[in-house]
Amino acid sequence: MPRVVENKLLREKVYCYRTEEGLDVFVVPKKGYNKKYATYSTNFGSINSRFVVEGEGQEVEVPDGVAHFLEHKLFEDEEGNVFDRFAALGASSNAFTGSTHTTYLFSTTENFTRCLEILLDFVQTPYFTDESVEKERGIIEQEIRMYEDDPGWRIYFNLLGALYQKHPVKKDIAGSVESIRQITKDVLYQCYRTFYHPSNMILFVVGDVDAQGIFKQVENNLKKYNYRPLGEIKNIFPPEPEAIAESYVEQRLAVSQPMLDLGFKELDVGYDGKPLLRREIVTSLMLEIVFGHSSRLINELYEKGLVNDDFDAAYVAEIGYGHSIIGGETTDPQKLLEELTAGIKRAQKEGIKEEVFEHHRRKRMGEFIKSFNTLEYIANYGGYHFRGINFFDYLQVLQDITVKDVNERLHEHLNSRNMACSVILPVD
Amino acid sequence: MTGFVRKSLENGIDVYIHPTKKYKTVLLQLFFHCHLNEDEVTQNALLPAVLQRGSANYPTRQELVLHLEELYGAELVTNILKKGERQLICYSLNLVHDQFLPAENRLLEKGLLILCDILTNPVTEEGVFRADYVRQEKEQHEKIIKGLINDKRAYSVERCLQEMCREEPFSVFKYGSLEKLAKIDAASLYRHYRDFLQKTPAEIHIIGDLDPEWVHALLQKVFTFSRGPVDELPLTAVKKKEGEINYVREELDVSQGKLVLGCRTGISYKDDEYLALLMYDGILGGFPHSKLFQNVREKASLAYYAYSRLEKHKGLMVISAGIEVKNYERTMDIIKKQLQDMAKGDFSEEVLENTYRGLRNQYLEEEDSPAAIINRTVDNIMAGRDWSTEELLRRLRAVTRDDIVRVAKNIQLDTVYFLTKREGR
Repeated sequence: MPRVVENKLLREKVYCYRTEEGLDVFVVPKKGYNKKYATYSTNFGSINSRFVVEGEGQEVEVPDGVAHFLEHKLFEDEEGNVFDRFAALGASSNAFTGSTHTTYLFSTTENFTRCLEILLDFVQTPYFTDESVEKERGIIEQEIRMYEDDPGWRIYFNLLGALYQKHPVKKDIAGSVESIRQITKDVLYQCYRTFYHPSNMILFVVGDVDAQGIFKQVENNLKKYNYRPLGEIKNIFPPEPEAIAESYVEQRLAVSQPMLDLGFKELDVGYDGKPLLRREIVTSLMLEIVFGHSSRLINELYEKGLVNDDFDAAYVAEIGYGHSIIGGETTDPQKLLEELTAGIKRAQKEGIKEEVFEHHRRKRMGEFIKSFNTLEYIANYGGYHFRGINFFDYLQVLQDITVKDVNERLHEHLNSRNMACSVILPVD
Repeated sequence: MTGFVRKSLENGIDVYIHPTKKYKTVLLQLFFHCHLNEDEVTQNALLPAVLQRGSANYPTRQELVLHLEELYGAELVTNILKKGERQLICYSLNLVHDQFLPAENRLLEKGLLILCDILTNPVTEEGVFRADYVRQEKEQHEKIIKGLINDKRAYSVERCLQEMCREEPFSVFKYGSLEKLAKIDAASLYRHYRDFLQKTPAEIHIIGDLDPEWVHALLQKVFTFSRGPVDELPLTAVKKKEGEINYVREELDVSQGKLVLGCRTGISYKDDEYLALLMYDGILGGFPHSKLFQNVREKASLAYYAYSRLEKHKGLMVISAGIEVKNYERTMDIIKKQLQDMAKGDFSEEVLENTYRGLRNQYLEEEDSPAAIINRTVDNIMAGRDWSTEELLRRLRAVTRDDIVRVAKNIQLDTVYFLTKREGR
């Protein structure tokens, strides 16, 4: 039976439904919008490189970059190019691979039902040949090269490499030019069969659409594929030691000025659902209070010319890992590092005051409401489901947390023990 | 497109009100239109940064940010845009609509008062801007100008256009130049500011669940500063290619080469042939089904990205691809072949139809974004167009293969720019 969850303040509803095969379907109707946007995601990203399926034999280890390679290859099947099928209906399609999941999507103003059928069908129809895999390697190699020249991307993965000793989140999402040479059609099929089972996926639709009609269509579509239940997928992650791998990494690139990112590794992981959402909100509020545009610290550093408007601090809360990343472009990375470290100590000593906390809570509430203007942002909340979170709980959790939570987090998380630093320097 | 109501303020600023119930927000954008002129762009671009350092009521950056945040995370950002040979300074104020905030009923007014204070009431000392604010913002601005190189894709496109339009105002970088920046001081910038506020053509767009009369009265009440007669802006010149193709090669420490081809189309947004040009660009490189994506990427595996796009007011088209340095010749051959095929009318009915549908979809999707609606309205005003979406789509539908081939015959390759690896590394 479909379920409907309503948020009175947002004046939005989400319709939820689980098919017999275990696919979770979410629909957020947006009256008056022209665009209809659908994402079909699997709980399979670059970190899922070792796994075993319950009742199906041996543990498998696959080369880095398989999830991303598979994403590219699903756009081609025996009848040709999937982009063309959407194009003929006036729709645009795309996909992206992250650390934890892969998402296929389309966006259209017409022919929604037919587009949805194509999305469901192409993601359920793998077709890989030796030639097509070979051809894709050149394209992905250029994608990897492009990111090698991207300072924002490099500083990020250099930092993850410093924070993590073992966890595969530290590896580049597309893998490396070397690792993708080991990817064959058999490897792709093997990952496909494991991770693209409906019970490991979600479908999220936003736009001026009819939820009941969508549920029915999805149900009928999945029936065509005669799914058998899949045993539980056990992803194997090597145990990550508490200690970081390296405290400092640097790289030289053709950039106009240096960049610095500070990272703090989460030591207490393994949560999902509301506790994880709560941690995400508490930590990101804390970071914003200490490092946000209205903080004393960042305004001092701005006046000293050490940071720009692009200075940012964000927290990632996954089930198996988590980290904060704080930084941006700077004229002097060493000086900035000293100032940030001293600023953290000062913030910890002074603590966060009730009125500052309330101020930021109010700001966050406004930002969450605003995000419901944009269909893509709404669909992104689908990602919360893979972490067992109902995103409509966001405002409630935001209301429930206290200044005490944020102060505790400030002391526990911003700890030099779990801190690493990544720097990009200009060449010469 | 959502219709707008046009009004004006007593000080002469035009106001375009787009009432709609679709959004949770109210978005206001205030545009200043300047000629893209080497002498003034740098000052124009620096000015908003200095103004956002503090106003009489919010004299520091921190106080200003705090007051905006207090309005449920109001965002006030300035963007410097380039449309044809114009530099646009755009102030955007984005707020949650009161109806979603149980304890609030005049958020828009509070936001507007902050914006107006920033614009008209800057912190001064000895009758000019604070010297330390100007010095610090000059340092930040220098980093913005130099920072173009950090995004190699944007850098290579900008460099190609600069080389291509060397003798034209269009080559001026929208953030200005280091040379001009060095000459600015608190007194000269303040003089420029007084002048800017008086004489620069300006318009306000506002979109949200608003009663036009009410919002007009509110704007009237807040934006009371006086203005003089505004400047007349020169029109953007749409030129033909003269002489040989210009080849430019630049070396940097990069892993991937960036190939950019700059073309002159002879057609701009205000011309009747523009929609045929739009179809041309779409078939050539606007979509995954287009020739560039299909031939450079899908068939030859030479690139991850390969596309074309238009600069609609200047009548230029840019083709861009990220490739292995050694594949320069091969890629050039394939791209030239696509241009030739376009001129021969060698494209299928299917691609033609899919391009129409793709463009139609883009135009309809724009109507879901407040910023995109305003952007299109600004383009229309600049080109003297008043097409509704329906009218535009009707005209797009009417474009024939012959129209596209006619456009194709006039497209001239002007400049080939290649960003390549530094030798010996």
